[in-house]
Amino acid sequence: MNHETQNCHCPEFALSRRRLLAGAVAGALGVTVADVIGDAHRQLAFGAPPGGNVLVVLSLRGGADGLSLVVPRGPDHDLLAAARPGLHIPRERLVGGNADFGLHPALEPLLPMWTAGTFGAVHAVGLPAPNRSHFEAIEEVERAAPGSIARVGWLNRMIGLSPNAAPQDALQVGSAMLPAALLGSASALAAYQLSDFEFGELGRGDGARMRSLHRMWDHESGEIGRAVRLAMGATTLLRPLADADIPTDAYPDGPLQEVLANTAALLKADLGTRVVTIDYGDWDMHSGAGTVDSGWMTEHAGHLAASLSAFFTDIAAIASRVTLVTLSEFGRRVEENGDYGTDHGYANSMFLLGAGVNGGTVHGRWPGLTTLNEGDLALGQDYRSVLWEVIATRFPEFSGGRATVFPGFVPEPIGAMRA
Amino acid sequence: MSSINSAPGLVPTPLGSRDQHFIRRFSGGYTAELAAEVRRAGGGRAWFDSQLRTGRDPWEKKLRSWFPSLRRSPQEIARRDRAGIQGAWEVMDDLSRWTLLMRIGSPWQVQEQLVAFWSDLLHVPLMNDKAWYHRVDYDRMIRRHALGRFDLLLTEATTHAAQGLHLDNVYSTKREPNENLGRELLELHTVGVDGGYDERDVKQSSRMLTGYRVDDDTSVPYYDPSAHYVGRIKVMGFKHPNSSKDGRKATEAYLHYLAHHPATARRIATRLCVRFVRDDPPKDLVKSVAKAFRRSGTAIQPALEALVEHPAFAKSVRRKVRTPIDDYVAAVRGLDLRIGRPVSEESFANAMNWQCGEMGQLPYDWPPPDGFPADNLAWSSTGRVLTSFDVHRTLAGGWWPDKQVRYRGLQSWLPELPARLGAVIDHVGLRLLGEEPPQSVREAVAAMLGKGLTAKVEEIGDWEVVGILATLLDSPTHMKR
Repeated sequence: MNHETQNCHCPEFALSRRRLLAGAVAGALGVTVADVIGDAHRQLAFGAPPGGNVLVVLSLRGGADGLSLVVPRGPDHDLLAAARPGLHIPRERLVGGNADFGLHPALEPLLPMWTAGTFGAVHAVGLPAPNRSHFEAIEEVERAAPGSIARVGWLNRMIGLSPNAAPQDALQVGSAMLPAALLGSASALAAYQLSDFEFGELGRGDGARMRSLHRMWDHESGEIGRAVRLAMGATTLLRPLADADIPTDAYPDGPLQEVLANTAALLKADLGTRVVTIDYGDWDMHSGAGTVDSGWMTEHAGHLAASLSAFFTDIAAIASRVTLVTLSEFGRRVEENGDYGTDHGYANSMFLLGAGVNGGTVHGRWPGLTTLNEGDLALGQDYRSVLWEVIATRFPEFSGGRATVFPGFVPEPIGAMRA
Repeated sequence: MSSINSAPGLVPTPLGSRDQHFIRRFSGGYTAELAAEVRRAGGGRAWFDSQLRTGRDPWEKKLRSWFPSLRRSPQEIARRDRAGIQGAWEVMDDLSRWTLLMRIGSPWQVQEQLVAFWSDLLHVPLMNDKAWYHRVDYDRMIRRHALGRFDLLLTEATTHAAQGLHLDNVYSTKREPNENLGRELLELHTVGVDGGYDERDVKQSSRMLTGYRVDDDTSVPYYDPSAHYVGRIKVMGFKHPNSSKDGRKATEAYLHYLAHHPATARRIATRLCVRFVRDDPPKDLVKSVAKAFRRSGTAIQPALEALVEHPAFAKSVRRKVRTPIDDYVAAVRGLDLRIGRPVSEESFANAMNWQCGEMGQLPYDWPPPDGFPADNLAWSSTGRVLTSFDVHRTLAGGWWPDKQVRYRGLQSWLPELPARLGAVIDHVGLRLLGEEPPQSVREAVAAMLGKGLTAKVEEIGDWEVVGILATLLDSPTHMKR
């Protein structure tokens, strides 16, 4: 399906295209180096110790339809069916879930984790006040500091709490640009894939470019001098990964394939990374969302589920350390529009998978579909309450930093994580 | 861009260091043509002055037919988007490409720098799905005033549909005022967060701005007196009876007041100094720029003249880090690429958008309302370095994008051989960056080639020329301006 022909204003199209081109270019160049050069290791001597817990934040950009992913079974199902004659998922098709909610059948690949209690959901989460602009909502979600315009993200504030914070503590995989959540004074790395963590060889080869960069940057003062030296250090540290042939066969074809395979390889290498951010866009289904059997939503949710299932299989050996949460900037309007789609909404559902998750059920205060917020699912809980619960349970070393990570916010207990 | 470097072997003479400083700060970067222009003008300062009144732009004229979408009205862009003919996001891609091309090729380089400056101050994000039908028109408006007067610019920007949609003023009515633009007008566009206003001022500011609307169906902007709040307005020192249902005159008086406020002059002077001098500009520099700005009735030219005349300007050589866009534009200019009319997504003029975006920045593509940061730290991330250096290598090699573009023959960069390696490096440095690289960079190039600076070079392979070009682009000489 060619989504670009539809009336959907999504920047993530651009991102996926950009990535495609970049991949093609990287393939065309293809000179690599195997040596580990210089003393750059020393610059990365600090950082988190290996063997620590990891948080993977998967952003479902575009506004994923939480009401189609985690669907109410009770009387609210009748309301939803009436509001969405073309799009609702019949009760008997729902899978997993609990007494009150069922999951989209495309999420079936994750049912074993749901049953095992390592996959759970929270419903009706969102920003403290609705913001139905993609761009503003993404910024607000990722800055997570209402009232401040400083462009510093919550994950950057979190990793910055560590006195030994190092660049490899936090990485964006799948894009060379840091997401707003990782922007700020603490260093973080970003790359399309791990193979980007190298300076393509020049001249004589055999590490000559790295030696050359050291010659002109080692004594260069200022911010950019520091950044070049950090980048040199990171390429040295990640060189074995940059050169490694990362197997992707176990992952389904699609936008998450290489990203999750790279993430798994990074986490298995255990370099002290605490945070990985990943984007999975194209959820802005204003039209042509398809049916429960086929089409955009079903394919998209299916790719998500099959990919995450492959990911957790891939990292089975370190599964006790890795927790993954999904975030999306907003949910969708309860009522479908005239084009088999839904417009921008408010509260949404969120998934939690992996270590420490109190899964197999849907958590959260459910405001129901009787009283809506301008046609949208109303807020049950602030998304920061869920995130804080993850931080507090998985990163005890950061649990004193709540006022830094989420300034001015008092979280409420959700129960989505095991204490 | 036309012309450029002459026959191989001929060593160009560098501009004086002060002249070089002018073009690093007020142009997209060195080209031989620009250096010749600076010489003809009689030096950097005279060139700068000559740029303050723009004239014919054959490059701009040529680009007009490349991106037809940019000549359409907001209403036409909206109609075509809604009809599924051309998505507004595609028009925004074109605006980004066209802006890059203007910075690369326009002879009016100072104007391009000022367009970027004002676009950050009065920011409307490229990919804002509320405002994008009007974003191209907003850019045209900024360009009309870029070298003119701030009070006129502010009035047009604040009442423009793009800003009204971006910061929700078009939804703001006397019954339900929306404070978004009323607040940012004070905080971001004029006096600044410490400018001396309080929450009552924000409310009054928002009421003053009510009435400017945009028709949902046709995207035609209009003024709606029934939405306008009537009644006395007081914001900081501004007082107005605002007794007419048509509040446009009163709004203009309010915007005039803010444009001429001393706190606004300080704020704009500070931003000019951070952008064109250094991140921590000395107080008396800011003061003299602010003074010139106010005295001239918010004209930008006297403020810029005060800035370049202050000794702090001359002393700030290479205090600024090139942003990814600066980096990209300067690399394309230095490498002397001849960009042709795009015919497909793979054409340079189109594909360069992905390449520059990969470096982490595209014109106006910054979601929050405050515009790109101008400080060095913001553009000094490791990811930025990795992607920049990757793009340097790709461009130096001429590998991609390679359609509808002509790269110079690699051998044409070289002096007559044999020559000492040091002389070769100096020669290429002069042609690529407009100056002889410092010793650390010369040594870096030599290390890359695995040769000594005094080695006699009989021939240099294409791969080695790529290495020299890429290393020079990776150097502090290129990365700092």
